[in-house]
Amino acid sequence: MRKLQVTALAVLSSLCLSTNAMAQTKEIRVLLANHPYGDLLKAAIPEFESATGIKVNAESLQEGQLTTKLTTEFATRSSSVDVFMTRPLQEGKMFYKNGWYEPLSSFDFSDYPKNVMSVASFGPKSYLVPLVTEWQVLYYRKDVFKDAGIKVPANFTELEAAAKKINSDSLAGFASRGKGAAAVTQLSSYVYNYGGLYLDNGVAVFDSKPAVEATRFYGKMLGNYGPKGVTSMSWENIMPLFQAGKVAMWTDASVFYGQIVDPAKTQVAAENVGIANFPAGPKMNSPFIVTSWGIAISKQSKNKELALKFLEWATSKELAAKGMLTNITMARSSVWEDKAILAKVNPGLVETRAYAAKNGNPLDRPYMSAVGEARDLIGELVIESINTKGESANLEKMAKEKVAKVNEMLQDTGEYGKQ
Amino acid sequence: MNKKLVSNILFYVLVTGIALIVLFPFLWMLSSSFKTQVDIISWPPKLFFEPTLRNYQKVFEEQDFLKYFLNSTIVGVASVGFSLILGLPAAYSIARYAQKKLAVFILLARLMPGISFLVPWYIVFSRLDLMDSYVALILSHMLISLPIVVWIMTTYFNTIPREMEESAMVDGATRQYAFYAIILPLSGPGIITATTLSFIFSWNNFMFSQVLSMEKTKTLPIAVYNFLSYAEVDWGGVMAAAVAIMTPAIILTMVFQKYVVKGLTMGAVKG
Repeated sequence: MRKLQVTALAVLSSLCLSTNAMAQTKEIRVLLANHPYGDLLKAAIPEFESATGIKVNAESLQEGQLTTKLTTEFATRSSSVDVFMTRPLQEGKMFYKNGWYEPLSSFDFSDYPKNVMSVASFGPKSYLVPLVTEWQVLYYRKDVFKDAGIKVPANFTELEAAAKKINSDSLAGFASRGKGAAAVTQLSSYVYNYGGLYLDNGVAVFDSKPAVEATRFYGKMLGNYGPKGVTSMSWENIMPLFQAGKVAMWTDASVFYGQIVDPAKTQVAAENVGIANFPAGPKMNSPFIVTSWGIAISKQSKNKELALKFLEWATSKELAAKGMLTNITMARSSVWEDKAILAKVNPGLVETRAYAAKNGNPLDRPYMSAVGEARDLIGELVIESINTKGESANLEKMAKEKVAKVNEMLQDTGEYGKQ
Repeated sequence: MNKKLVSNILFYVLVTGIALIVLFPFLWMLSSSFKTQVDIISWPPKLFFEPTLRNYQKVFEEQDFLKYFLNSTIVGVASVGFSLILGLPAAYSIARYAQKKLAVFILLARLMPGISFLVPWYIVFSRLDLMDSYVALILSHMLISLPIVVWIMTTYFNTIPREMEESAMVDGATRQYAFYAIILPLSGPGIITATTLSFIFSWNNFMFSQVLSMEKTKTLPIAVYNFLSYAEVDWGGVMAAAVAIMTPAIILTMVFQKYVVKGLTMGAVKG
C-alpha cells in the first residue's frame, strides 16, 4: 500500500514537473514602451496568447527607463528579455555594436520604405522592424494667419516675415525646441535645408558654412520671435503653450498633431489649427522623416522561435492598420496606400507624410553610438545662437571645437569615416 | 503691550510669507491634480475651476496604484525593520567600543553612488533568480536605511551615560540584556528619527527599484512614470500620483516631527 502511494506520488510529481517545464518553454518576456503603439499591443496580447498558446509577460516602461533597463540587462549578460521596443536613432547603433540585436534573416521587409530601412540595417542584415515614423512639420494658427492676412510660409524667408508680423507680447510668432540637446532633432531639418549635415559618412561636419548658417537662422528666429525662456524649452513646454494659444507657429515632429487638435487637451479650436509641410531652405527642402520606434529580438533570448512569432504578430499589417486608425503614423508603406484606412486618418498627416516620405532625410540627429554626448555638444551651439539672436561672433569657433570633440568620440568607437 | 502686538503681527506675516513661498509648488501640484488637462495648461493659471476627480480615478482605478502602494510599503517596512535589527546592536557596539573605522566603513556604503552597486547586484540577483522579488528590493533598500540607522543611533547611544547599563551589569545582567532592557527603552526618539528618515528615503528611492523590479514589485516612484508616455505627458495624472505618494510621507513626518528634531539635535549637540 505504502509503496503504491509512493509510486503514485512520484508519477504525479513528474507529471507536474513536465507540465511545468512545458509551460516554461511556452513563455516569453516582452518589454514595451509607454507609447500609443505599445499600449495597443498590450491590449491585444490576450488575442495572441489564445491563438498561439504562448504566454506573454509584457511590461511597459517610459522610454528612458526602458533604455536603462535594457542596457543593464544586456550588459550583464543575464537578460531574460525576448522581444523589446527600441529607438533606432537613439540607441540602435550602440545596441548593434554591442551585439544585443538578433539579426532578422527570415523577416519580410518588402513593405518598408528604403529610407526607413536604412536605420534598421547594418551591412547586409536587418536587426529591427520599424514600427512608427514621424516627420517634421509646421503647425500654425489658421485664425491668426487670416487676421494678419498672410499665407502659410513655404520657405524660410516667408517664415521669418510671418513670425515678424505676428509676433507680439501676448503671442509668440514662432516656437521650436530651444533646450540644448532636445533641440538638435528639430534643428536637423533646418541644417538639411541650408545644405548642411551633422555627420557626413562618419565625420562630423556641422561646422560647415551651411550648417552654421542654419544654426544662426534657428537662433535668430527663436531669439527674436520665440517665447520667453525658450532655451529651457523642449516639446513638453512648447506644446502646452501652443495648446493655450500663446504660439502662432511651431516646427516639430508630426507626432504631436493628435494632441493639439484634441478638444480635451487644447484651448485652441481644432479648426484653427493648421499643419503644413516644413518650409524650404535656401538649398532644398528635405525635412527629417525618422523611424522613432522599432521592435527587435534580443540576441540573448532563449526562446527565439517564440520571440519571432510574437514579433511577426506585433508588426503585422492588421495591427498596423489598427494603429493608423488611432492616429499612430505607422512605418509600413501599404497602410498609407489603403484608401479605407486613409479615409479615417487626418488629411494633414497624409499630405505632409507623402511629401516627407518622398523628399525627407531618415536621420534627425548625429547617427552614432555616443549620440547623447554629441547632442549635448550641438545643443550648446543652439543655446549660444538663441541667446545672441543668431549673431554670435563665436559660433564658428565653437562649432569647430564641438566638431573636433564629436570626431574624437567617433574615433574612440571606431565609427570615424565609416558609413 | 502694543510693541508685543506689532512684533507678533510681524512674526506671523513673515511666517505666512515664507510658508507661501515654500508651499507654492506643493499647492500648485495639489490644485493641478484636480484640474483637467485644458485647465492645467491655461494661462494665466485658473484660480477658480471646476474640480474633477478624473485624475485620481486614473491613479487608483486605471493604474492600480494600490498595488504599488503595497509594494512600496512592504519594501519600506521590511528594509527599515531589518536595518533596525542589524543596525541597533551595531550602533551600540560602535558607540561603546569606539569602533570609528567600522562606522566610517558603513558610511562609505552610503557615500558611494548607488548606481555603482546596481550592475553587480543585477548579476547576483538574476543568477539567484531573485529578479522582481521583494527580497532583492528589501536587501537593496537596506543599503539606504542601514547607514542612517547606524549613524543616528551611534550618536544617540553616546548621549546615554555608561553608568546606566553598568549598574545593571553590576546587578548581574549581561551586556545584551542591559542593552535590551535599559538602553533601548531610553532610545525612543532616536529610533523614531532613524525609522522615519530611512523609511522616507526608501519610499522615495527610484534607482534601485527601476532596475531590480519589474511589473510585480514595481514601487511608487517608478509607477509615476506610467503617466509619461512617448511625446505625451498626462500632467493631471502625474500631479495626482505625486499627491498620493507624498501623503503618507507627509503624515509620517508630521506625526513624528518633534521626535525627529529632538533625535537629530541630540546627536548634533552632544555627539
